[in-house]
Amino acid sequence: MTLQIINNATCTFCGCVCDDIQLHHDEVRIHEAKKACVLGTAWFLNHTAEKKYPDALIDGKEATVEEAIQMAATLLHEADMPLVYGMSNTTCEAQKECVAMADILGGLLDSHTSL
Amino acid sequence: MGGKVTCTLGEVKQRADFIVYWGGNPAECHPRHFTKYTIMQKSKFLPRGRKDRTMVLVDIRETKSAKAADIFLQVKPGKDFELITILRALIKDQHVGDEQIAETGMTRAGLDDLVHRMKSCKFGVFFFGMGLSMTRGKHMNSAALLTLAAEMNAFTKFVAMPMRGHGNVTGADVIMRWQTGYPFGITFNRGYPRYNPGEFSTVDVLVRGDCDAAFIIGADPGATMPQPAIDHLARIPTICLDPHVTHTSRLARVHITTAAQGISAPGTAYRMDELPLPLKPALKSPYPSDEEVVRRINEAIAKKPFWLPDGSQPQVVTAIG
Repeated sequence: MTLQIINNATCTFCGCVCDDIQLHHDEVRIHEAKKACVLGTAWFLNHTAEKKYPDALIDGKEATVEEAIQMAATLLHEADMPLVYGMSNTTCEAQKECVAMADILGGLLDSHTSL
Repeated sequence: MGGKVTCTLGEVKQRADFIVYWGGNPAECHPRHFTKYTIMQKSKFLPRGRKDRTMVLVDIRETKSAKAADIFLQVKPGKDFELITILRALIKDQHVGDEQIAETGMTRAGLDDLVHRMKSCKFGVFFFGMGLSMTRGKHMNSAALLTLAAEMNAFTKFVAMPMRGHGNVTGADVIMRWQTGYPFGITFNRGYPRYNPGEFSTVDVLVRGDCDAAFIIGADPGATMPQPAIDHLARIPTICLDPHVTHTSRLARVHITTAAQGISAPGTAYRMDELPLPLKPALKSPYPSDEEVVRRINEAIAKKPFWLPDGSQPQVVTAIG
């Protein structure tokens, strides 16, 4: 099977965010990440499009995404001082939604920077 | 970190002939930093590449990065702030005692040479890592080094840049600064953003047991935080979004699996010099993106009464007349 090639892909493993990686993939996994360093290669090759984990877990039991979303909204809404934390391994678009979440909750907002 | 004296990595690549790495180990943590942006690159202004550049490494131990350095300065652990302060005095020809220099693990000859090189370069840059910003003195160390870089501009062009890890952590700073005016350690509990690291920063909040719910995204505090903080996360309802089932997921009430950024989720990520870059995902994930899940949670929260005691909205103050 011939592999599909993506040129100038962006690696988000470390803060260098190298944007010159050539990815060779078959839609399920990435087989080669040219120009990537050891850390970047491990990052690209260890992720697959397979369904390895359940969609969602509530109290350790499998649940649908919609159930988990409703449960998350209820728990966060019930709290007096909820914390929104992390935002490192995610996109700017998701980070913006996280800021909106802390705002509507009247909660705390923080990232890895403060660690 | 708004207001720091800095530049892009492109300028470093083209112009920097004097490069200092302070409290970082790029050879192992940012393997392509040397070859892609700093010491190994040839440019119009530095045609001989490595030969035209000087690299200094300041660290508490001889890491793999020391092999790449022209000068390795071994600072005593926890004495970075003192060393930066001494350098700030020496560049202005102020008196510094021998015992003060000895306390940092340096020699006067070594520091005189460093100051001479700093002043006589054309374009100097400090890259500082967690060995500086996360040890004794913390953000005061970063502030001191940024001040030193600013003061060096009385003699020559000098800039400073933090070596950011963790993918898009720079983006988190930028997005929070854009949306709230502050980079991290923020609370909205009065209805508007307030900033106070130490009071509103996560480790402190968790160790004191202040918060009564946690929403964790793109991080695994269950594996990286001190034990009292992890204990508190297990005590309170925690919601975790991650492409994998992590340590945090195991102690969380709710875990939602999401697509990995840049692998199977599109979007934007910021490089350490605050340059935004588009992601080019190669795979299609069976899971939704972080952005979609957070937006749907926000929509579900918005349907519930507002958090003020009677569910009323905050009062908007408008000027009269």
